[in-house]
This record gives sequence, structure tokens and C-alpha cells, in this order.
Amino acid sequence: MDEPAKSAEWSRRDLVHGAAFFALIAGVPLAAVKLSRRLQDDAPTDRQRKLIEAVSQLVIPATDTPGAGDIGVGDFVILALAHGLEGSRLPASSAAAPSPGAYRRPDGSLLHLDWLEDDLDRRARGDFLAVLPAAREAALRALDTEAFADSAAGHPWRTIKALILTGYYTSEIGGSKELNYELVPGRWDPDLPLKQGDRAYSSDWTAVDFG
Amino acid sequence: MMEKDVQFDAIVVGSGITGGWAAKELTEAGLKVLMIERGRNIRHQQDYATETKAPWEMPFRGLGDVEMYKSEYPVQMLNRHFTEFTQDHFVNDRENPYATAPGTDFTWFRSYQLGGRSLTWGRQSYRWSDYDFGANKRDGHGTDWPIRYADLAPWYDHVEQFIGVSGAAEGLKQLPDGKFQPPMALNAVEQHVRQVIARKWPGRCLTIGRTANMTEAKPDEGRAPCQYRSICARGCSYGAYFSTQSSTLPAAQKTGRLTVVTDAVVEKIDYDPATRRVTGVRWIDTASNQRRAASARIVFLNAGAFNSVQLLLNSASEAMPHGLANGSGVLGTHIMDHANTLSAAAIMPGFEQHTTFGNRPTGIIIPRYRNMDQLDGVGHTRGFSFQGGALQSTWTRGKREAGIGHDYKAHLREVGPWRMVLVGFADCVPRPTNRLTLDRARVDARGIPLLNVEFAFGKEELAALAQAKAEAAEMLTAAGGQVILGFDRPGPGGTAIHEMGGARMGWDPQTSVLNRWSQAHEIANLFVTDGAQMSSTACQNPSLTYMALTARACDYAAGQFKTGAI
Repeated sequence: MDEPAKSAEWSRRDLVHGAAFFALIAGVPLAAVKLSRRLQDDAPTDRQRKLIEAVSQLVIPATDTPGAGDIGVGDFVILALAHGLEGSRLPASSAAAPSPGAYRRPDGSLLHLDWLEDDLDRRARGDFLAVLPAAREAALRALDTEAFADSAAGHPWRTIKALILTGYYTSEIGGSKELNYELVPGRWDPDLPLKQGDRAYSSDWTAVDFG
Repeated sequence: MMEKDVQFDAIVVGSGITGGWAAKELTEAGLKVLMIERGRNIRHQQDYATETKAPWEMPFRGLGDVEMYKSEYPVQMLNRHFTEFTQDHFVNDRENPYATAPGTDFTWFRSYQLGGRSLTWGRQSYRWSDYDFGANKRDGHGTDWPIRYADLAPWYDHVEQFIGVSGAAEGLKQLPDGKFQPPMALNAVEQHVRQVIARKWPGRCLTIGRTANMTEAKPDEGRAPCQYRSICARGCSYGAYFSTQSSTLPAAQKTGRLTVVTDAVVEKIDYDPATRRVTGVRWIDTASNQRRAASARIVFLNAGAFNSVQLLLNSASEAMPHGLANGSGVLGTHIMDHANTLSAAAIMPGFEQHTTFGNRPTGIIIPRYRNMDQLDGVGHTRGFSFQGGALQSTWTRGKREAGIGHDYKAHLREVGPWRMVLVGFADCVPRPTNRLTLDRARVDARGIPLLNVEFAFGKEELAALAQAKAEAAEMLTAAGGQVILGFDRPGPGGTAIHEMGGARMGWDPQTSVLNRWSQAHEIANLFVTDGAQMSSTACQNPSLTYMALTARACDYAAGQFKTGAI
């Protein structure tokens, strides 16, 4: 682990470009991202950035709408992990992951991308990003299955996957193309027939919060 | 700016749900009123900055910068209406500290701004009944309310018609009907559960929440009906829900008799022992850090229950060493909040062919049905009620589910299964040990002593929530639901955001702060008409009752003013 070098590497060469890319994709003011000191302190390596983009795309692939990796969700996950969304900066549960002990920050929270990188390389028996697509998918699927076993509450993959979903379905593509988005419904229809193929609403805030 | 010699007929401290009402009623009665707000100005329509934003237009997609929240908003971030869209409608906890006694966990949710919590409230608007006003007398907790339902009924009419409350009349003694706009409809699952409950338990009624979201326009007041967005706490340019900005403030301004000062933290109320009257208030202008003052013949405290008590305690003088209007010694005591928890959540199969359109900004209520004419509560003598509703899940359910890839994406595109939740609200017994004091050793940045909160629920609340949990599960199960979880332990005090009491109303000046007109027993021109005046909690939301009590007290005060009595 070489934190300062990593940090410097990303902030020097990629942070501005990455932030600009993220801002373009997501419509976020560049300043809001550039000024994020936490993101700079928590900057991932180039490889981690590619990894989370690839992983996002595996979770939500391109269909008739773009996939999560296509629209910059990986960068949202990086931002979100640095800023503690989905409880990602809380002290990590020691029971949750096989061996998360090596990936802790001083505050006890998990360095999720460091952990994910090693976990997926281990499952892929080599460089996760270099193995065949089917092997990548198999590795991720194995992790996903393990993480959603009843006994695995608090598993770090659940946190990362939640952030991938958040990044995708709160994006313009995911929220308004993949799903429906209606800011001003203008009426309340209490009982409509639900038909095969009807899309859910990303703007059903009660469902988002409590569903 | 205000000078010390500027004379008002009345000063209203606070601009939230009750402050706005006091300003409206007093100005409409012909009085010249100064309304003082500690927070910033927020203009209706113009200043609802995030109202139309989509998640993808927000830096953190609406979830907010959680690490920043942990340092700046550690309490407010626990409020369910607190999001990246609404964060500026909540107080910065670090800049506005309060103290808690050892062992007390109290989440004090606050909004310091013009309109106060009227911008962020849950809008549920229920009348209280004589089961509530008679509760203290019946079981001996607290002190008897000096009013009954009949005293307040015409004022409920008055308030409901002005603010606009949609709801269904049900003819229930425990939740009296009001002057309602047409109700928002139950969805298919709620309609089914209503029928099952009514059939099996004739004393129990599931009805649509009575909410201060309008289903009919009030064109004369520039207010449109609800657009079914359900993002109220961002501020609503349609004026479709009641807030100070949408409703009472324009009415008061229309009289030409209202002066509003914002960014003004009131420090003290001045008291003249010779006349036994308050004479005015002093505040700190937070923009300039200057001290200012104004005088008036009447003072209304509407700063929010805890802040009104703090102001009374902090206004102690040689003549009133234990706090203003505190000859009884009960000022600050008997604070309460509803004991509140998720009593049951269930999956509701059988409605897979049904869905809805639009975001209804209210849920359902199952009003109290225990301890009415018979004492049939287990281990408690008061009531509990349920709020909640049935909803279909959306993409967020994917966070709990295994899966990746095409099938998973296709699955999350679909509307998810129905579930129903019942959240229990239990009556909170008034106790002298639950109290507010000033921590004079600790002051805020302006040198004002911190408010210290000492609070715990007791065995009555725990017993009520235990019964609520069992009966919530029983009702959802009877309706075909599969209960997946339920709790019987309340959240910390403050969770229900119905903190009240501290300057309770009562018959006896020796044991209460206010009389039946929300008027200080000891000081005829001082009124407290926010939550501080409450002597018990009922088990339904209190804001409508605060408003009705405020309008009633204003009518009384204006009458006394005109006769010269105050």
C-alpha cells in the first residue's frame, strides 16, 4: 500500500479529467467535485477506477439503455465511498468480510476498493481486468452470491452494490430512461392495472425510501 | 431598523406553524404586530432552490454528503425529511448546540428560518378529543387540562378551513371529524386492509391520513391543489400544503400591520415587576451582531416548545429568579414526545395486478381504539394509533437482493411487490422528571446558556408499544400480509418530532404556567401558544391543536387588548 503515491497519481493526472468526465456525464458542477478534499484524500488508483467501472457494468449491463459503467457510475461510487454514503465510512463489521482487517482506515472504516480489488483478483486467480469476460462475470457472481447469503449482513459488497444501484438509478439515464421519472405527476390514481413490461418510477420517493 | 422606542401592540416570537397563526390572527384583529424570526428569510416560491431539481442535478444525487452531515448535521440527518434537497431547511447542529443529561438520548429536530418547521412538517392534521383533554384527570398523570373539546371545536373549524385539510369524515369519537376538503384515496391494498379490519374489529378504523395538503384550490389565496409530487419539505411553489409562507404570512401581510424581522435571536423578555407586565423583547441581530429591542403591550411566544421554555428560563430577573412566569416552579418540567416505532411491516401478496400513479403526500391512520370507554390497554391507560400505508417498491429493493447482469436489470425495471407498514405512536405520560433546564456553565456562540434536555420514556409507553406491535401484526396478518418485522422499543425522545410541554396549561397557578387561554397565570400580557403549553400528548399529531389554541388565544388577547385589560 502506498497511499501518498496513489493519491498523488490520481489527483495529479486524473482527478481533474475524471472529475470533468463525471461532471459531464452526471450534470454535476465541476467545482463540487474538484473541491472534494475527501475525494482527494481517498483517491483510488487508475486500476481501481477501471475496476469499479467494469464491475458497475457487470452489475447493470447495457441493454436497450446504457449500462452503469457506460455512464460513469464507477466514478460516482468513488465519490460516494469517500463521502460515507450507504454507511461506507462507518466502522466496518469484522464478521462481514472474509479478511477485511487489512483494508481499514484509522477510523475503522473499510477501504472498499482496496478490498474489492484483492477479492476479485483472488477469485479470478489473476488480474480480474485481464481475464476473459465470462471469468470476470463468474468471479463477481460468486462474490455476489456469498455477500447476499443470510449470514452475510454488513458485507462490504452489499455496500458497493448499493452505491452502484444508487449511481445508476439516480442518473438521468437510469432514472428517466431505464425507469420512469415524473417530477410533477399532477394527479393521484389510486388503483391502476399493472401490466407486463410497465416500468417502475424512480420518482416514487416513498418507494425509494421505504420500498 | 427597530429602535427601542418603536411600540408595537404585540410581538410574536417565532414564525413557524403557530407564530404565523398568531401574526395572522392578531393583525386581522387590528393589532400592529412585530414577528421576530431567529433564522434567515425564505421567500415563498422564489427561495425554494431545490424544488424542481432531479437527483442527477445534485452533487450527491439527493443523498447528500454524509461525512459532512456527520459533523454539521449529526442530529438533523436522522430526520426522514432530511435529504440533500432539504438540508438547508434544517438547523446546523454544530452551530446550534444543546445539552442532554447523562443517559438522555434526545434528537431535537429543528428548522431555524422564516416559516420554521411549517416548511418541513409532516402535515398530518388531527383533532384531539375529550379522551385526550380528559386523560390527565382520568388516570392522574400530570395536571388536568383546563379546557375540553367543546372549547376548541370552533377553532378547529376556523383553522382547518383556512389551512386546507383533506380527509375523510368517519364519525369517530376519538378522532373528531373536521371541515375537510375531499380526501385523497386509499390504494387497493389499503382499501382491502380497511375492509378486513372493519369486519373483524368493528371498533377499529383505517382511514386516509388527514393532511394539510389541499385537494381543492384556494384561488383567492393564490394556492393550488396538490400536484402529487410528495417532495413537500423542499418548499412548494404551488402553495398546496400549509406553511407560514403559503398561508398565514400573506394573510398577515395583507393587513398592512405586520413587521417581520429575520436573523434575530431573541435573548430575553423584559418584565416590569411594578405593573406585573412584560414590556418587550431583546434580540441579537445575527447579521450585525448588534443587540436590539422592541416593546409591545402583548408578547406571544411561538418559538417552538423547547425554545419558548428556554426563553422563559433565560428571562429570569430579580423579581422572577427562577424564570419568567415560573412562580409555580413547574416551568421546563413535564416535557413529552410521542413514543414512536415501526410496529409492523408486511409483504402483501395478492395485488400483483394493481399499481398507482402519482405520489400521494400522506399515508393512512388507524386512530386509537384502546382505553376509550373501557380501560382495555395492557399495562397502560392511554392510547396508541398507527400511521403508515401500503406501497410498491422500486429499484432500491435491489440493494437487498442477490443478482447481477441482464436479468437483474430487467427485474429492477419492474414495479416491485406491495408491502405495508404500520408505525405506532403512543401517548406519552407527563412526568416531572422529564424536563428542560439551562446549563449556565455552557453557552452558545452568542453567549446564551445551552438548553439541557433530560428525558426518558417509562413503562406506560413501553407497554403501549408492545401492545401496538402485537396488534399491528395481528391486523396485517388478518389481511393476508406476511409480517417480516416489527419493533416495540421507541426511538430516542424527539423521534416523533412532537416534543411538547414545559409550560403546561392548568387550573392552578401553583402547579401550572398557563391558564385556559394559553396566558401566563402570573403575567396577563404574556401568551405561550406553541407546543410548550401542552399538558398531555394524545396519540395523534399535535400541530392542528397548537394552531387552534393559538387562534383561540389571539381572539382572547385581542379582546382583552381592546377593553384595555392588557
